[in-house]
Amino acid sequence: MYDVDFLEELRARLTEWENTTLKERLTKTQENKTEFTSGSGEFVTDRIYTPLHAAGLNYNEDIGLPGQYPFTRGIDPVGYRAFRSPLGFYAGFGSGESANRRYRQLYAAGSRDIGLALDLPTQLGMDSDDPLAGGEVGKVGLAIDTPADLERALKGIPLSGLKTGTVGNCIGPWALALFLVLCERVHLQPSQMGIRLQNDPFKEYTGRGTFIFNPTVAVDFASDVVAHMYKCVPTWEPQWSCTTTMRWGGCTASQEVGFGIANLICYAEAAQAKGVKPEDYIPRVDLHMSSDNDLFEEVAKFRAVRRLWARIAEKRFKTRDPRILSLRISTYTAANRLTAQEPLNNIIRSTLHVLASMLAGIDHITAAAYDEALALPTFESARLASLTKHILNHENCIGYTVDPLAGSYYLESLTIQVEEKARHWYEQVEDMGGAKAAIDSGYYLKEMAKGQYQNQKEIESGERKVVGVNTFVLDKKVPIPLFKGDPKGEAKQIRRLNKIRQKRNKARATKGLDELSKTAEKKARGQEINIVPAMLEAVRGYATEGEIFAALRKVYGDYRPPAVF
Amino acid sequence: MNRKPIRVLIAKPGLDGHESGAKVIARALADAGMEVVYTGTRQTPQMIVNAALQEDVDVVGLSILSGAHQELCSRIVSLFKQKRIEDIPIILGGIIPDGDVPKLKKMGIKEVFGPGTTTAQVVSCVHDLVRDKGQPPRRK
Repeated sequence: MYDVDFLEELRARLTEWENTTLKERLTKTQENKTEFTSGSGEFVTDRIYTPLHAAGLNYNEDIGLPGQYPFTRGIDPVGYRAFRSPLGFYAGFGSGESANRRYRQLYAAGSRDIGLALDLPTQLGMDSDDPLAGGEVGKVGLAIDTPADLERALKGIPLSGLKTGTVGNCIGPWALALFLVLCERVHLQPSQMGIRLQNDPFKEYTGRGTFIFNPTVAVDFASDVVAHMYKCVPTWEPQWSCTTTMRWGGCTASQEVGFGIANLICYAEAAQAKGVKPEDYIPRVDLHMSSDNDLFEEVAKFRAVRRLWARIAEKRFKTRDPRILSLRISTYTAANRLTAQEPLNNIIRSTLHVLASMLAGIDHITAAAYDEALALPTFESARLASLTKHILNHENCIGYTVDPLAGSYYLESLTIQVEEKARHWYEQVEDMGGAKAAIDSGYYLKEMAKGQYQNQKEIESGERKVVGVNTFVLDKKVPIPLFKGDPKGEAKQIRRLNKIRQKRNKARATKGLDELSKTAEKKARGQEINIVPAMLEAVRGYATEGEIFAALRKVYGDYRPPAVF
Repeated sequence: MNRKPIRVLIAKPGLDGHESGAKVIARALADAGMEVVYTGTRQTPQMIVNAALQEDVDVVGLSILSGAHQELCSRIVSLFKQKRIEDIPIILGGIIPDGDVPKLKKMGIKEVFGPGTTTAQVVSCVHDLVRDKGQPPRRK
């Protein structure tokens, strides 16, 4: 970007500055550390950045303009100047009534974007009375066994114009069937509401652990959802490929980029194999990333992932089609950086995590609530989190210009570094056979465990300072109001489930389950057949979630991952 | 004196799959010279008791983040009692509200570790628990 003579002159001037101005300053006091490294620990941060750091950049090829290849500056030419993000929430707990109360409260407060948090038995394809589910029903989310539970949870909320969905990742076909059946029952055209399904099984092998089947079967089911949704309600969003939990579990910034791209490539190709072309798939999905502590490294990460995706997808899909090469990113702020000590400090942390996302032009941001390290969010803490981006947008002028940090010597240099290293991680995964192989072999888990242990050691040694944890520690607890669940919810949910088992048309439920088993067996024998239509029949017939997944487990077995640490 | 290394079982009961904490603790105990067996996720109380016996461990460490600690710990503790196993102390780590700690201790959980615990604290707790029971003879 600069001419050779100018760079020569600058290099000489820099040496002179080091020998005079800098040297003189350092004779007074030393810097706090001999070496500063980026938040994820992978890049050494120089004292100052100059055009020398960005000398290798070609503006047109590497940076360009927003909305154009290589999309470094964003996929939208106007960015936040047209910001219309809804007041979004992710909530749910207990049996239908208690969740319904919260959803109504959120709706009344103006939210039209309410993601349903599901409890662990529901995410694992188990009924609420499964012996393994004891104690977990309604704990981390809403319990759903049949469509009646979903109806109860959304009762009284106008569904037309509402955007909702779940993050149930290994139950994608069932979740899709639930929402389609809900629309049938309330006589609503599915396209009148918005559904956003996470449907990302990889997340479960690497993060939260709610996997059911092996990765190959799981990806097959997930892409059945993509294909069916594309055919019947193309406006719904079938998948968001997540790197959030991989990052929280110990990945570095560049690993998050490299692994994230490898995962998304795998999903895109699975969808393609079922007839959903990349130009129809990519615009409907997003890469869902964490927004971590080091503001500059994170902005560089988001810019790098857009650029690297454009470059890799261009070769992989042999195309220049911007629908394929422009990658939409959403974020969930770094819940792993929130502390249980002095929880109010987390408001500051989340605000800066949101700021990093906004400075990078992220399309959809969810902020973690300040009490998340202690319990499910209260109504107040969830509202505060959701308002963060709106305060920054309306009051702090963050989005007036697109990609405001572009051209910073530091940021451009860091963007190059993240991209280079991420490409290395992406190639590692591709060399071993792609994302599925990286999961099967325990590669992702091992990389994460390494990072997590390192992080813990750094906090314990004091090398990584965390306010209220290992520096500026307060010797008393700061109490905050915490959400309390409904201890009687589990028993109530089980009674309700038993009633449904007695009341339903048994022949219809059994027939639905039989058909589902047959379809699964055909699939397992290699026949190309989508699981969703059979799933829909079973759900319509009030087969319970546990019965449905028991039928599938019989065909595919349960997956046990390697227990590595 | 040639002492046998301390053996610890780290287990994740229930359906919660967040295992970073459990793995960090497992690794730290191993680094401190102990022999660590990690069960992986989704263990029933029965599986945990069986593993503790089979692996002949000195201490069992549970990790729960889903909020189901009351129910799960009570089932595990009573199963240990039923089997008349009284010499394996059980400790717990995770997201545990302060108000629940006395109830858990009364139930028989020896120590409860929340966020902000250092690995050194856990290592020293395990040492103390083993010393307190005076290195009982191995059961097999």
